[in-house]
Amino acid sequence: MVQTITQQDLNFNAKPKKFVVWLFVVSSTIMFGGWTSYYIVFAASKGKGHGLVLPDVFTYSTVVLLLSSVMLYLASRSLRNNNRKQQQLFLWLTMALGLVFGYLQFQGWTSLYNSGAALINNNAAISMIYIVSGFHLIHIFVGICFILNALVGSYKQLPIEKATYRQDITAIFWHFIDILWIYLYVFLLLNN
Amino acid sequence: MSTISLQDTHHHDNHDDHGHHHETFISKYIFSMDHKMIAKQFLITGIIMAVIAMGLSILFRLQLAWPDKSFPLLESFLGKWAEGGRIKPDFYLALVTIHGTIMVFFVLTAGLSGTFSNLLIPLQLGARDMASPFLNMLSYWFFFSACVIMMGSFFIQTGPASAGWTIYPPLSAIPKAIDGSAMGMTMWLISMVMFVASSLMGGINYVTTVLNMRTKGMDLWKMPLTIWAFFLTAILGILSFPVLVAGVVLLIFDRSFGTSFYLSDIVMGTQVLPNEGGSPILWQHLFWFLGHPEVYIVIMPALGISSEIISINSRKPIFGYHAMIYSLIGITTLSFIVWGHHMFVTGMNPLLGGVFMITTLIIAVPSAVKTFNYLATLWRGNIRFTPAMLFAIGLVSFFISGGLTGIFLGNAALDINLHDTYFVVAHFHLVMGSAAIFGMLAGVYHWFPKMFGKMMSAKLGYLHFWLTFICAYLVFFPLHFLGLDGVPRRYYAFTEFEFMNKWLTVNVFVTWAAIIAALAQVAFLFNFFYSIFRGKKAPQNPWEANTLEWTTPVEHLHGNWPGEIPTVYRWPYDYSKPGAETDFIPQTVPFSQTMSSNLPHDFEGNTEAEEIQKGWEVKNKPAATEAE
Repeated sequence: MVQTITQQDLNFNAKPKKFVVWLFVVSSTIMFGGWTSYYIVFAASKGKGHGLVLPDVFTYSTVVLLLSSVMLYLASRSLRNNNRKQQQLFLWLTMALGLVFGYLQFQGWTSLYNSGAALINNNAAISMIYIVSGFHLIHIFVGICFILNALVGSYKQLPIEKATYRQDITAIFWHFIDILWIYLYVFLLLNN
Repeated sequence: MSTISLQDTHHHDNHDDHGHHHETFISKYIFSMDHKMIAKQFLITGIIMAVIAMGLSILFRLQLAWPDKSFPLLESFLGKWAEGGRIKPDFYLALVTIHGTIMVFFVLTAGLSGTFSNLLIPLQLGARDMASPFLNMLSYWFFFSACVIMMGSFFIQTGPASAGWTIYPPLSAIPKAIDGSAMGMTMWLISMVMFVASSLMGGINYVTTVLNMRTKGMDLWKMPLTIWAFFLTAILGILSFPVLVAGVVLLIFDRSFGTSFYLSDIVMGTQVLPNEGGSPILWQHLFWFLGHPEVYIVIMPALGISSEIISINSRKPIFGYHAMIYSLIGITTLSFIVWGHHMFVTGMNPLLGGVFMITTLIIAVPSAVKTFNYLATLWRGNIRFTPAMLFAIGLVSFFISGGLTGIFLGNAALDINLHDTYFVVAHFHLVMGSAAIFGMLAGVYHWFPKMFGKMMSAKLGYLHFWLTFICAYLVFFPLHFLGLDGVPRRYYAFTEFEFMNKWLTVNVFVTWAAIIAALAQVAFLFNFFYSIFRGKKAPQNPWEANTLEWTTPVEHLHGNWPGEIPTVYRWPYDYSKPGAETDFIPQTVPFSQTMSSNLPHDFEGNTEAEEIQKGWEVKNKPAATEAE
């Protein structure tokens, strides 16, 4: 028995820790659910939504974010094939696209602001665009920290289980914020 | 088996985290990652916050009982907030606000779940520690910082938040509205965001640990009811606290950046505020979507703790183990669709009000199931009246007497009359306040030997129980009658109204009862802190209980069990099993060692084991088999 325990001690089991990330995803979804519920009730009671044509930049940023998810998928696949160099390349690309996304969101806010739809607004639905996209951007920042964590693991040549764990939690989180943004964008498009 | 590798992985993690086993004072007592130490940190912080919040309640009770009397002592330590020895109206509002906030969130959420989930989840499930010890440590320090910031608001010029613990806008959203909505409210909001972060980190950890790190043999239906309660409480927290954050963020933007989420058509003096289009009712929706599950976050751990304690000290299996779990699940689910019953007077559509009324009344069913099961467990048991048992029975008493008035308030037609009166205050102080605090105290008395390796004095425990139990009823029961007569809550000096004057004598009585109840807590505090250092050394299993935590050594160690983690063979409630040698059979005893007491359903359809049992019975109990 002692022998099996030492054997098992050497195993790194990531399952509970990955579960933690999943639960974080759940609670974060609910926070955004709170805001979009506010929006629905607000819009229903006032009979109006934000009433804007959303800037085109948001479409571009959506495409960029989708692309970054593809890159992250490729990074995961490279790691599965045990090609760390390739994994690092795709991780860097994911991160770069994440940063481009952030830049485009700022562009989006600028063009909203210039069209007269500022954060400080007597239409709370317009303020809400800034709140949800802003808090989504905070998530992108956290996601970039996850990517850096996976990169460090890759460069340090961590054992495959640990490197896979870091890659996996990055993937869970990054794909989540990707889907989250698509949800928010479609929500804002439909409820104008 | 996957379960084995899971806990042993954990063992491995401990080695990773704690490396070479030489601990400094800082890593052992301050930034500890050991779940037992974190539990103690939560408990002691919770006790300190409870004492503070109790002190605040005595201050406003003085005002309620003697609205025209001056207490020069108050001025000497409250300064300008009690000029001339009389508490100022603004400060009175701050007192009730902070009393409520601390009691609901800091004591009965963090102090209760934080202590007992941290202590018992790994110990009763057979895990080396939590899924993420680091997150666990972070959870405590976020909680601690939230406490410091909340208390810090007493040391600023404008004083603490004073819009009530529900901080309804517009009052809370306009910094100039009252002193308490200035800096104090900002600190309240920051503190609460940190508190939610702490709760989420804790809750995520609890759920993960319960689902992934149970020892071999511990399937979900062999878990003690404490664990079921903590587990479902954590799920409630994960699903509801983020909504509070969403609401709080919008309030912060309204207050500090000038948005109009909750504000519209406000005139301050002669000045018209620019905000337009928002709706304060939306805050109430977001707040109570958390707020109602929150009261179950408060009561469910207490219910779980008393299930365990009542079963152990009745020396009987808990009555209706499965019914207990299904009613907890029922409460968890229903708690998300009842929040509207806090908003019957907001101009809600009566049809919608009817829906919320029905869901609210349905929640009485699982609550009643639990109550009857407690009573049925006590019925004809060999009851051992330990202090923990008394507090657990006290919980049942408060849960019944407070729960009954919940049925009144759940009816929209009655609530419209009783809303925001002392009837509501009486209701929730019994069913949520007193019941939950009694559950928490029961847990402290019961698991103190596990936490500190020492016994608490039972005599002081009895004194503490009887004084607190009687005084709690004396404080809260009369308030029902004030409420029925229409006396509103949160009023600074209701004696200004002619028809309420007659209640002054009742308030004097209530205040005296509250003072005695507060003094009774000295017995507990002395007992608690004295016993940590000077208490009698605790035996291995002082209450003769079945659960796993009593198989760990009295002296704490990292990883909880010195060798292998024990395997679990049976459910935790085999007390007074007919045919058994002792009146309790721990979960770690296999059925092969208890042939004389095994029952057919123990084998869960395992035919091979049933055959062996039958063979043994033919050989050893010929008379019994014939009689069948």
